[in-house]
Amino acid sequence: MKKLGNLREHPGFISLMASLLSILTGLVFGLVLLLILNPANAFAGMGNMLSNGIRDMGNVLYSSTPLIMAGLCIAFAYKVGLFNIGASGQYTMGAFFALVCAIGFQLPWPVCLLAAILGGAIWGFFPGFFKAKFNVNEVLTGILFNWIGMNLVNFLIPNLVIGGNGMLSTNWGGSASDRTAALADANPSAILPRLGLNKLFHYSYMNIGFILAILVAVLCWVILRKTVFGYELRACGLNRNAAQYAGINANKNIVLSMVISGALAGLGGGFYYLAGGGQLNLLQEISSVGFDGISVALLASCNPIACIFSAIFVSYINLGGIAMQSQGYATEATQIVISVIIYLAAFSLLMQTKIAGFLKRSGKKQKKEGVK
Amino acid sequence: MNAGTWASIINLTICFAIPLMLVALGGMYSERSGVINLALEGIMIMGALVACLLLRMMDQAGWGDSAGKAQLGVLLAALAAGAAGVIFSLLLAFAAINLKADQTIGGTALNIFAPAFCVVIAWAIQGQGITDIAIPSWTRLTPEAMGFAGKVNQDFLPTLFKKFYMTTPLAILLFLIAWIVLYYTRFGLRLRACGEHPQAADSVGINVYKMRYAGVMISGFLGGVGGLAYVLVAGTSFSATVGGYGFLALAVMIFGNWRPWQIFGCAVFFALFKVAGTFYNLIPFLPSFSGVQKVSNIYNLLPYIVTMIVLIFTSKKSRAPKAEGIPYDKGQR
Amino acid sequence: MNLAEAAKNPEYVIEMLHITKEFPGIKANDDITLQLRKGEIHALLGENGAGKSTLMSVLFGLYQPEQGEIRKNGQVVQIRDPNDANDLNIGMVHQHFKLVECFSVLDNIILGVEDTKMGFLQKRAARKKVLALSEKYGLKVDPDALIQDISVGMQQRVEILKMLYRDNEILIFDEPTAVLTPQEIDELMQIMKDFAAEGKSILFISHKLAEIMAVADRCTVLRKGKYIGTVDTKDTTMEQLSAMMVGRQVNFKVDKQDAKPGEVVLDVQHVTVPSKVHKNNAVRDVSFQVRSGEIVCIAGIEGNGQTEFGYALTGLEKQSHGTFTLCGHDISHATVRSRSKDGMSHVPEDRHKYGLVLDYSLEQNLVLQRYWQPDFRNGPFIKFDAVRQYADRLIGEFDIRSGQGAVTTARSMSGGNQQKAIVARELDKDPKLLLAVQPTRGLDVGAIEYIHSQLVRKRDEGAAVLLISLELDEVMNLSDRILVMYEGEIVGEFDPKTVTVEELGLYMAGAKRTEMNA
Repeated sequence: MKKLGNLREHPGFISLMASLLSILTGLVFGLVLLLILNPANAFAGMGNMLSNGIRDMGNVLYSSTPLIMAGLCIAFAYKVGLFNIGASGQYTMGAFFALVCAIGFQLPWPVCLLAAILGGAIWGFFPGFFKAKFNVNEVLTGILFNWIGMNLVNFLIPNLVIGGNGMLSTNWGGSASDRTAALADANPSAILPRLGLNKLFHYSYMNIGFILAILVAVLCWVILRKTVFGYELRACGLNRNAAQYAGINANKNIVLSMVISGALAGLGGGFYYLAGGGQLNLLQEISSVGFDGISVALLASCNPIACIFSAIFVSYINLGGIAMQSQGYATEATQIVISVIIYLAAFSLLMQTKIAGFLKRSGKKQKKEGVK
Repeated sequence: MNAGTWASIINLTICFAIPLMLVALGGMYSERSGVINLALEGIMIMGALVACLLLRMMDQAGWGDSAGKAQLGVLLAALAAGAAGVIFSLLLAFAAINLKADQTIGGTALNIFAPAFCVVIAWAIQGQGITDIAIPSWTRLTPEAMGFAGKVNQDFLPTLFKKFYMTTPLAILLFLIAWIVLYYTRFGLRLRACGEHPQAADSVGINVYKMRYAGVMISGFLGGVGGLAYVLVAGTSFSATVGGYGFLALAVMIFGNWRPWQIFGCAVFFALFKVAGTFYNLIPFLPSFSGVQKVSNIYNLLPYIVTMIVLIFTSKKSRAPKAEGIPYDKGQR
Repeated sequence: MNLAEAAKNPEYVIEMLHITKEFPGIKANDDITLQLRKGEIHALLGENGAGKSTLMSVLFGLYQPEQGEIRKNGQVVQIRDPNDANDLNIGMVHQHFKLVECFSVLDNIILGVEDTKMGFLQKRAARKKVLALSEKYGLKVDPDALIQDISVGMQQRVEILKMLYRDNEILIFDEPTAVLTPQEIDELMQIMKDFAAEGKSILFISHKLAEIMAVADRCTVLRKGKYIGTVDTKDTTMEQLSAMMVGRQVNFKVDKQDAKPGEVVLDVQHVTVPSKVHKNNAVRDVSFQVRSGEIVCIAGIEGNGQTEFGYALTGLEKQSHGTFTLCGHDISHATVRSRSKDGMSHVPEDRHKYGLVLDYSLEQNLVLQRYWQPDFRNGPFIKFDAVRQYADRLIGEFDIRSGQGAVTTARSMSGGNQQKAIVARELDKDPKLLLAVQPTRGLDVGAIEYIHSQLVRKRDEGAAVLLISLELDEVMNLSDRILVMYEGEIVGEFDPKTVTVEELGLYMAGAKRTEMNA
């Protein structure tokens, strides 16, 4: 009984309750929206959104992999006091580097993943460096580099020829010239191994990327909580002046954490495009992964382990949204639900104090009755 | 390079600088009152949505038949866009000012909400699967209608006005008003005080919460109008996106050191490079990289890289409003 | 005096009757009654945390009391915000100036009471009035100068002009002399007396007994939120006031034996540090030495380069010329970390900005200077039990009080205990040189005594202590040698046993200087 009592007052538990309450409210809001738009199908639509994922668990987990990485990217930077709005650019560069190694240099998948990390790290270096050295606002640099990255990749991919290998689908027997070649055609050794996971989850593209992402999340948590380096990083984020006073090199840490953050996003790009299921489309728009990562990180209160779960949740709902089309709703309804949930995170402090109060009172009540 | 090319460049520069400037001004008002407004992208989209729906209704009611009515319609649509922006921004204001939440959270939520909401509404009104809301062609004032003789893309004057909407003069008017209000009125003085030293403002009896609400609402208005201005010049229909312009406007605001005239200059600077890039094959001294594919992407890089270079040299003196991003809590002393 | 009697005495221009003001967890004002006569200078005395600022904030409309009422000239009034206070002709000069730095003097004065025509600012009449007031009371200001460019003394004049511009008759000053030179303090006292002679009524908050005795007619004493009493200054002594303030007789002197200085530990040679705010250097060609076993104090008014010197010495900022030598090693270009490793400890001026990571726990803060040492780490990982043991030891030795011991968040600790934690951490390093800057700022008498005794203990153990302080009492009582810094230069060296406070004040204000040979 005593353990349960302590659990009620544990800040992590209260935070979890607050998140669950946000999610519930968001879903209710979604339902209300569906009712307004098309009352007849509302409940069926909502039911679809909530249950489709279960039928398609493999797809859910597969799609959650880049989201986990994007969430980790944002969360890691946030812990150090930085807002990494350049996550999309870092993701794209990571994907680019991975594909260049895969298609251009014909290298196996471990090397390509390392390349993805490098690509994201390089792109993360710039906002950190310009902030530390020239005091350029990192949000600004991130925004600009998102565009620079996109344009650079859109330019290089059609033009790069490495050892006689072009990058486009048309170079490898495909028909579309606006995307990279399918890895099944260009370099099967670059595809992440499936290790039977595709059979286990009944989803043909499921691979070890998901497992690796979980391991990376745990690694992030360990670094932040248990290491000397994490202690320094968090100190920099919480109070840069005190960190300097303590002899910590704040500038070095800012750059380092942006590099790590970028590497995480880049790795996400690698995981996704080396899965063999997707080809990099050359679109003139910034990838939305960076912003999905913000959703995932905020839902997880920027805790690396929680990012795993919030990414799965976001992926689950997104897939549910696709199924809702059969009821006549746009899939974007799920994005509305997600945005409401995140907005409620703004209430979270308020909710946490209310929930804490509620749990305390019900705990006291139980104790009273216990004494009787 | 003939007169036509010059005029084209000027015209397109103005077209793209105007929405950038409007939205950046909006961001400036919000931040100078002390609230970081990351939701500019979402506000633009909401403003554009309401305006486009209104224009659609007007089109169906025959407003396009007379030129006078048409342009009045455009102005009304702009006002509606502004109003939509104001209402939408109240959500951000509430989260940031009353709940004292992290201002990035509110902004991000609104940015995710807006495009999704657009699609859902568009499908509900136009039918499933139809996301694009067509913009009536009568919104555009043609050079002929304005009385300019000559050939477009060859002669100077008609080319200078080849793409012209009422939102442009409206934007210039709003800019002048915004500048004068900020520096020459009591309201502007008090607003700036709230963004620099809210405790000082509070101690002389200014209601900081009210002022910050005003700042955010003004940014909502300007952002909404900016959304319509962007959509009008960007294409013939609105498809639930403003292409990241909201974030670009944030960049211009920071680049412009939170000052109206500097923001104006930076918006023009940025738009100029963006446009010059698309004309690379008409401007003689710019290489055209024959044999290379997708040269346009190289030139697309130009504005961003030039901006980065300028930033490296000027950011030492960058001075954000001192109290921005810090929620005001009366109890803290 | 009860309410009935108070109502019969219109001689009181302001009465605050049975005021109670609570914040979550604290009763800042507990049933306090304060009465101000017209034309008097009335001091409000108390230690840090006694409730003086809160009470005046209630009067000024910044806070609403839970209980009690306020009367002006016998009539009950409601003061809901500073506008109401202003309408009642009450004005306030705050301890931390409420001025917008990037605005001009004139804009700051008119903010909140601007003249407008259809919303547009009309500044001509305001400018005239400000210049006239400035003439009349001898408060020299430049209306177009930006606050960030003017001196602290002039900033205070701007705050005073704010009140006069609004025709305030009841003037509240919150710790007005904290940042002034002795000469400026005398000027301020004269200005206050002039105001009183004109019929204005003045309330001023202070914890400086000498000033209160010099200028106030009456003094109300608060202690821990409660009203202790009101006395006429001509009928009391400083010792009596002090006893009312702390509840016991206070030791004005620190118990210490004579210093026995040994080897030179710190050698400062021709150090010059640039200023971030203006073109002149903040520190100019400063040279001196500190030996082991002595406490040397750099005295001076805030803003004369002591802060910059401290930062240059510890490595937080760079000097442009000169050298620092610690026990024979040249540390002039060393990093903060290596100076710390060489035996330097630093108790910083601003404990929230530099001394602590407020969102870390107490134990995390206690190892802030040591977490990288082999005792506390296992390769890349932190040894959590070693950290806990260390923290528990320091908590015990230095009696650091907190809600939950080692895991308490630093933010929730009281100022005194936060400072104790910092002092504990820095002293436990067994430093060769201890730099303590304003180590007792904002603390109550008990904490001050404790920290002073710890500093003396370290000195007796052989450390070299360099103290930078603005409190003349602390300077006189604690140091073995005093160096006065004025406008970045050392202008005099003194023995506290032979020099007077007045003499020090003259040097601190630049009125006198000794030529120091290099």
